[in-house]
Amino acid sequence: MLISSVKVGEHFYFTLGVFKLHAQVFIVSFFVILILILFSVLGTNKMSQTPRGLQNFLEYVLEFIQDITKSQIGEPHYRDWVPFIGTLFLFIFVSNWSGALIPWKMIILPEGELSAPTNDINTTAALALLTSLAYFYAGISKKGLRYFSRYIKPTPILLPINILEDFTKPLSLSFRLFGNILADELVVSVLTLLVPLIVPLPVMMLGLFASSIQALIFATLAAAYIGEAIEEH
Amino acid sequence: MQYQYINSYSLLAAGGLFDFDATLSFIALEFLLLTSVLNLIYYQPISKVIDSREDYIRENLNKASLYLDQANELTKKYELELITARKEAIKMVTTSQTEAQEFVNAQISQAQKEAQQLIQSSMMQFEKEKNKAIYSLEKQVEQLSEQIKNKLISIYI
Repeated sequence: MLISSVKVGEHFYFTLGVFKLHAQVFIVSFFVILILILFSVLGTNKMSQTPRGLQNFLEYVLEFIQDITKSQIGEPHYRDWVPFIGTLFLFIFVSNWSGALIPWKMIILPEGELSAPTNDINTTAALALLTSLAYFYAGISKKGLRYFSRYIKPTPILLPINILEDFTKPLSLSFRLFGNILADELVVSVLTLLVPLIVPLPVMMLGLFASSIQALIFATLAAAYIGEAIEEH
Repeated sequence: MQYQYINSYSLLAAGGLFDFDATLSFIALEFLLLTSVLNLIYYQPISKVIDSREDYIRENLNKASLYLDQANELTKKYELELITARKEAIKMVTTSQTEAQEFVNAQISQAQKEAQQLIQSSMMQFEKEKNKAIYSLEKQVEQLSEQIKNKLISIYI
């Protein structure tokens, strides 16, 4: 009887036409999306001037997200970016926590295993590339071609480094999130493999904390990149 | 127990740790869809509620400060009115007091005058009576002395 095992980089493949997909990512991410939509629908169906229950919670979360975006992007433009930053934060946060809290491994797949969607490099890379697109879009829509003048600022000598930055940003974003979540799940799995009871609990708590911090970091950095692209010198 | 060893050459291949494939683009699409859906069912309605509440609070605060100003103005006005009313009352009291005093004084002086007159007139009457009496007495004395003189004369002559 196998309660726990370590499986790294095994995927449950699923082919859609010519595309090869990692089905375990989609199963859990659909679950995450379902949770988010369920919370939103339940929290907004009976809204009142004096918030109570779930509406109060949703308002608290939204104001938290607005605070992040406002502090990174600044007063006039932050409102346009709240949906993007907010969805980044919520999606990553709920993914991480669902990966840590829900015993996905009880559901046995023919290949690979269910875990947090952020445990797959494809998810984190997708989010990081979208962030790159977002800050390019923000900069160009705000400044037009003048946006590209930032590559030779403060001096043209820094041009290669500035160009390199556009590659390191998504790379660091995606690998930071992927590495943290994968490492956390690996540590928990290995510990559970060695001592199944009680001992992994502190590490699991640490994992919960770290994964919520990772969501915050990802959202804050994405907002900071967008703010940097918009900012006038 | 199953172990999967990580080989460096298989990292990018199917089944590897860094197996990039169409999952990436589908997750990106899924994420964009989630963004638009959450924007419709979460961010927009909730921020609308928050904004309307802020407006409501600001409006009420403005109204309250307006009412406070009005109340302060009214208090000032009424206090001013109170002060003038008090002043008027004091003035009225003093005028009526002086009037009463004057009236009393006038009465007293009139009474004194009348008494004086009465005394004077009675004194004059008295004097007249006295004079009359003295005059008649003198006449009688004269008559008597004449009679005495006549009698004496008749005796010695």
